[in-house]
Amino acid sequence: MLKTIAIRIVLGIITLWAVSVLIFAATEVLPGDVASAILGQGATPETLAVFRHELGLDRPAYVRYLEWFFNALHGDLGIAMTNKRVIVEVITPRFMNTLFLAGYAALIAVPTSVVLGIIAAINEGKFIDRFVNILSLMTISVPEFFIAYVLILYLAVQFEIFPSLSTVFPEMGFAEKIYTTALPAFTLTMLVMAHMLRMTRTSVLSIMSQPYIEMAFLKGLTRSQVIVRHALPNAAAPIISVIALNLAYLIVGVVVIEVVFVYPGVGQFMVDGVTKRDLPVVQACGLIFAGAFVGLNTVADVLAIMVNPRLRHPR
Amino acid sequence: MEEYNKLKHMFDKGTLSRRDFMSGVAMIGAGMAVAPSLLSGTAQAAAPKVGGTFRIGMEGGSATDSLDPRTYSDSVMIAASLCVMNGLVEFDQSGKPTGELLESWEAKPGAKEWVFNVRKGVKFSNGKTLTADDILYSIAIHRGETKSPAKGILKQITEIKKVNENQIAVTLEAGNADFPVILGDYHIVVVPDGFTDWQKPIGTGGYTLESFEPGVRLVFKRRGDYWKAGRANFDMVEIRNIQDPAARTAALQSGQVDAINRLDPRTVNLLMKDKKLNVVRTKGTGNRFCFVSRVTDKPFDNKDLRLALKYGIDREKIISQVYNGFATPGNDHTLDALNPFYNTAMPQRKYDPDKAAFHFKKAGLGDAKIELQASEGAWGSAVDCATLFQESLKKAKINLDVKKVSADGYWDNVWLKVPFCAVYWGRRLSADQTFTQVYGSGSDWNDSNWRVPEFDKLIGEARAELDEKKRKELYFHAQEMISEDGGMICFAITDYLDGYAKNVMGADPHARYDMNDDRIAEKGWFA
Repeated sequence: MLKTIAIRIVLGIITLWAVSVLIFAATEVLPGDVASAILGQGATPETLAVFRHELGLDRPAYVRYLEWFFNALHGDLGIAMTNKRVIVEVITPRFMNTLFLAGYAALIAVPTSVVLGIIAAINEGKFIDRFVNILSLMTISVPEFFIAYVLILYLAVQFEIFPSLSTVFPEMGFAEKIYTTALPAFTLTMLVMAHMLRMTRTSVLSIMSQPYIEMAFLKGLTRSQVIVRHALPNAAAPIISVIALNLAYLIVGVVVIEVVFVYPGVGQFMVDGVTKRDLPVVQACGLIFAGAFVGLNTVADVLAIMVNPRLRHPR
Repeated sequence: MEEYNKLKHMFDKGTLSRRDFMSGVAMIGAGMAVAPSLLSGTAQAAAPKVGGTFRIGMEGGSATDSLDPRTYSDSVMIAASLCVMNGLVEFDQSGKPTGELLESWEAKPGAKEWVFNVRKGVKFSNGKTLTADDILYSIAIHRGETKSPAKGILKQITEIKKVNENQIAVTLEAGNADFPVILGDYHIVVVPDGFTDWQKPIGTGGYTLESFEPGVRLVFKRRGDYWKAGRANFDMVEIRNIQDPAARTAALQSGQVDAINRLDPRTVNLLMKDKKLNVVRTKGTGNRFCFVSRVTDKPFDNKDLRLALKYGIDREKIISQVYNGFATPGNDHTLDALNPFYNTAMPQRKYDPDKAAFHFKKAGLGDAKIELQASEGAWGSAVDCATLFQESLKKAKINLDVKKVSADGYWDNVWLKVPFCAVYWGRRLSADQTFTQVYGSGSDWNDSNWRVPEFDKLIGEARAELDEKKRKELYFHAQEMISEDGGMICFAITDYLDGYAKNVMGADPHARYDMNDDRIAEKGWFA
């Protein structure tokens, strides 16, 4: 089993390296370049040439890749071309914000959806099963900004329970942060719940037709006992990978939510970087996102191996 | 003037607030210079109060922002810089240049040689007293080897030198009566001589910088010893970056911010009904939306085709459907009605399918298809406008192909390159700058490629002319030339729409930019 886990981790690292090449190549083929994007309508051929040289954009791409890659290995993501700030210093608090919001949403969403999924599986076909299914499908069927605006309209503008601006600042206390970011956390919860809930329900139910489950029933156990003790451990692997996928989504896919709630996360940072063609910023964001994605999936794979009774006790 | 008298009457009777009167005056283009004098003794008499934290939610910032004046390009940084620093020249409500750190000036006949007087007794936040050296340095960073967008407009300076501690002399390559206006460019703000630490700027402004997270928030603290009496009245100023219009509106409605810029014209009518809010509208000084053809490319080298397209666009319909009425029709050049040299004698070009059909026939192009490239990258609703244009041309039996292209790289790959595309222009500092940059033969941005020596001569003459009346005549003629012969269909100029909480005072419309010329933090106060 240790060997399997080690292979997974090595594969994860190789993936990350391949992604770094792709990120660099992708930023190279973006139309336009940083000099003209920053100068905008104020650009003249002369100022453009000066600026390009200043940014080192007149050197070959592979030289810039190797330089960037080795610096990144040392934790140096470079300096933003646009405002000359050290990227690591700017991106760290933003990434912490993203993790905070993702963690907040996950803490609500994961337990709720797994528990509701199990309840739905226990009561397959009954009212409660149908109800949670329909509810979760409804929340996943509307676009995220719609949920966000509805929540803002009722909970922020009309009743003023929560703030519509969820910007967090370093000087805020933990409780204040939780209160300020309530609306985006609720929105994200609604977005990711359906997927996890339905996966839990389906994988539990698919185990239910196995012979050893029938055996458990024949022992005289109740339906809920069978599900929690016998079905769930064997259904855990697909549930874990779906949870990991959704956690990754919470980290990398929430730009729209960040914009609507004015939340200072990495997503908005990356979008600003792309529109201004600030390549070091885009590359840094891409690398962090890829790292989060690959990392979470590797952890999910490792966990899935560990919880699988057959892999844990090899014969 | 009839409209003006009507407004004045309503104001005198008390059925119109001062602000409505002001925006009404702005609307009819009667020139706001007269308005404040009419209103003295009424609402203006109330002295500003000191105190409070003023929170502004603004669009026009990004995570890549910097306080280095050579990088400013949008509202957030312009407003932020004016909290900490001062410009050389300020503009009054009607858009006329008045002294700021350059207190006064004088031009020798021909407007080629200028002498500027530096304001005395102004102190930087680090205690240093402002001198001519600081002014020279702050101008010098925009000249020579630099990426500053102000470089182009300062090229006309051939010599700039200190006369004494409080006076500088400037020599231009050719006469320019608008030179003080050029020095009012928002990039040119004053820092101490030799200053380079743009993370912590030192200025002569009414506030000092407390914290700055690019794309998120700027916080400023009142200095208390500001040299402008009655200005910079808030204890703290917070500028929050809010890109999403709905988020900005919600933040204002729920009282999380006191002021926001760029209201959405489609929902502004609803906001106007909100009793807690105050919507300030500046008519027709915002972005100028155009479809620009290159007159050197086929088939647009045909003047009749250009005229056909100008008559074939239904300006009113686009304005009512896309901008909900919050824009004024453009007259095929980019000067706005609040500019003192705006040609008021030239009739507004209207939608006339018959004339369009006539000119199109005269152009003799058969039923050739004309392709217009548009994109969200030009401006948000460019494609909608293009589609309505296509619709209105159908009545004149002209086939227009609207090609929607990628927003990414639009200004690199489409603008200045394809024969016919959507373009927006911002307000320029002066009539001269508008004409030189947008239509001058020497301009890199002459996007219609309309280069006419006769026009250049006209503009050159007007530039050096110190007699207002003669200048006006020349500029009137220039506008007629562009409108009649140029390759640009300028169909709408948007209104600036700001939203304020009711207790924010000093939020008047300004002829230059929104948010009271991006100086609301300096000019405003809480009731």
